[in-house]
Amino acid sequence: MSPGSAQRRRPGLTAWLLLAPLLLWLLAFVVAPAAILILYSFAERDELGRVAFGFSLENFQRVADPTYLAVFGRSVGYAALTTVICAVLGYPVAWCIARASEKWRHRLLLLVMIPFWTSFLIRTYAWITILKSEGLLNGLLLWLHAIAAPLELLYTPAAVIVGLVYAYLPFMILPIYGSAEKLDPALLEAAHDLGCGPWRAFVRVVVPLTLPGFYAGVLMVFVPAIGMFAITDLMGGARVPMIGNVIQDQFVGQARDKPFGAALALVFMLLFVAVYWLLQRRAERKLA
Amino acid sequence: MTPIRLLGVVRPLLALSLAVSVAQGAEQLNLFAWSEYVPQKVIDGFTKETGIKVNYETYASGEEMLSKLLIGGAAYDLVQPPDYIAEAMINNKLLRPLDRAQLKNIGNLAPEFLGLPHDPEQKFTVPYLTGTVGIVINTEKVKEPVRGYRDVFQAKFKNRIVVVNDNREIVSWALVTLGLDQNALTSANLARARPLVAEWIKLVKVFDSDSPKTPLLNGDVDLGVVWSGEAARLIQENKKFAYVLPMEGAHPFVDVLAIPTTSKHVAAAHRFLDYLLRPDVSKLISDEFPYTNPNAAARRLLSAEQLANPASYPRLEKFNTFRDIGKAAAAADKLVTDLKSAK
Repeated sequence: MSPGSAQRRRPGLTAWLLLAPLLLWLLAFVVAPAAILILYSFAERDELGRVAFGFSLENFQRVADPTYLAVFGRSVGYAALTTVICAVLGYPVAWCIARASEKWRHRLLLLVMIPFWTSFLIRTYAWITILKSEGLLNGLLLWLHAIAAPLELLYTPAAVIVGLVYAYLPFMILPIYGSAEKLDPALLEAAHDLGCGPWRAFVRVVVPLTLPGFYAGVLMVFVPAIGMFAITDLMGGARVPMIGNVIQDQFVGQARDKPFGAALALVFMLLFVAVYWLLQRRAERKLA
Repeated sequence: MTPIRLLGVVRPLLALSLAVSVAQGAEQLNLFAWSEYVPQKVIDGFTKETGIKVNYETYASGEEMLSKLLIGGAAYDLVQPPDYIAEAMINNKLLRPLDRAQLKNIGNLAPEFLGLPHDPEQKFTVPYLTGTVGIVINTEKVKEPVRGYRDVFQAKFKNRIVVVNDNREIVSWALVTLGLDQNALTSANLARARPLVAEWIKLVKVFDSDSPKTPLLNGDVDLGVVWSGEAARLIQENKKFAYVLPMEGAHPFVDVLAIPTTSKHVAAAHRFLDYLLRPDVSKLISDEFPYTNPNAAARRLLSAEQLANPASYPRLEKFNTFRDIGKAAAAADKLVTDLKSAK
């Protein structure tokens, strides 16, 4: 290592000052809440649902109960399916946007972002209007004589997946686009010159170079999709509880058991850390 | 995007500075009540009459209200708990005794809604609206008679049912169907109720506490077990809907108003309470939210059609409300979560 880089590694006062807002933010909104969760998770609830501090492992034993493990498993399954569908739909879209001319690139990106200008709940209600029994989609299909009776679309697992994919697709497209846009077209030409067909060039050149964006997209879809509870309630009819529903119920719902909710949330967070760590390690190995 | 996000930051700041300037000038009242339960007209009328500014904050469940009240932070002057939460609050000394001398209109209340188990001496609470949990049927789709829970939860109605997403409610229906006390959530009783709840949950298409009328209106389901106010609105909308009290035993509820011990505007809270008890004001509440109005003087102002709505004014024999069950609520919750997962 050169002496110059060693010097650069020691942050001066200015660097600390510049970092201070970020560090404070992390302290106040990441470290402190996590510490509270840890403290709560070993406590108990009293008659009124207040937290009675103490040290008990009972909450963690309850997390390991088959009921909640099944809820965990189902949430992971729904989130994984959402991530796969988002990747399959999002990758080609991101790639095409990145390859488009500059004028079109901006327009297409705007189209991806426009839904964010409307409240998420309103967009979910719009889906209810489309999918309900007397809704727009059934109306159209009946009018076209494609079906004889209305299809059962809303309040099904498929409706939940539609809602989740719709909500998180942009979070897959944008990071992949970020990677794909930076990819130098000369590299593809070089691959062709060296005898690669289009498919091999894509697999050997494009895919490895856009992997960081792809992994970022996977994280940005998978992690929030696991905890989502509004879509499962509104579009799934709250028939099958997801981990987000169960945790919400412990804090503001009927169960009023904050310590148990904290234990669930903590295990849940550890799960995220594990997924992140695995992805990170794979990404590093790929780069090396 | 940036200007929009900036606006989002600036607007609450503006509102805050406005609120501060108002607070210095006039008296105010912090009302913490159910969402969609106190008409804006009623609040505006109070401010116009008294000059007292009302800050109306809302919650979606009595449990949520209690959680937020216990965390502290905001000092609420008037809360609106359901009967069993009010009972827990009284037992834990969270409510302030009311000053009857300041409630001149309290005599307007019908006696059958007073002295109920949650507040036997009527020292801490005043009923706001009451209702029942009952069966609503789309008579165009369901031709056979439906009289009780066992008629609703039949295999032929699979995927045609909506129920409130309320675990204690669902468990209590199973308990009364088995002839057990709806408030006795002992582990023995829960074990007996379990197979019934398991069977019922498999038949339900939608669980929704906020707006169970929506899937009925949309045609996604044909019958359900819902709050009477929701059923009353359906009947107002379309006469094809009918409301039935379950023959196994209906569960009535009372939403009350009460002043927390932490209130800083006790006089204003009493004024607002007394204002709500006035017949002309109480009538406005019934116009918008067609639950059962416990205010006898206000009922005399309602139209014949309003009073004939079977969901608003059903014939109730026994007034058997929920009681505070403390930690047992968690057991009901686990039971339903478990059974929903199993299907």
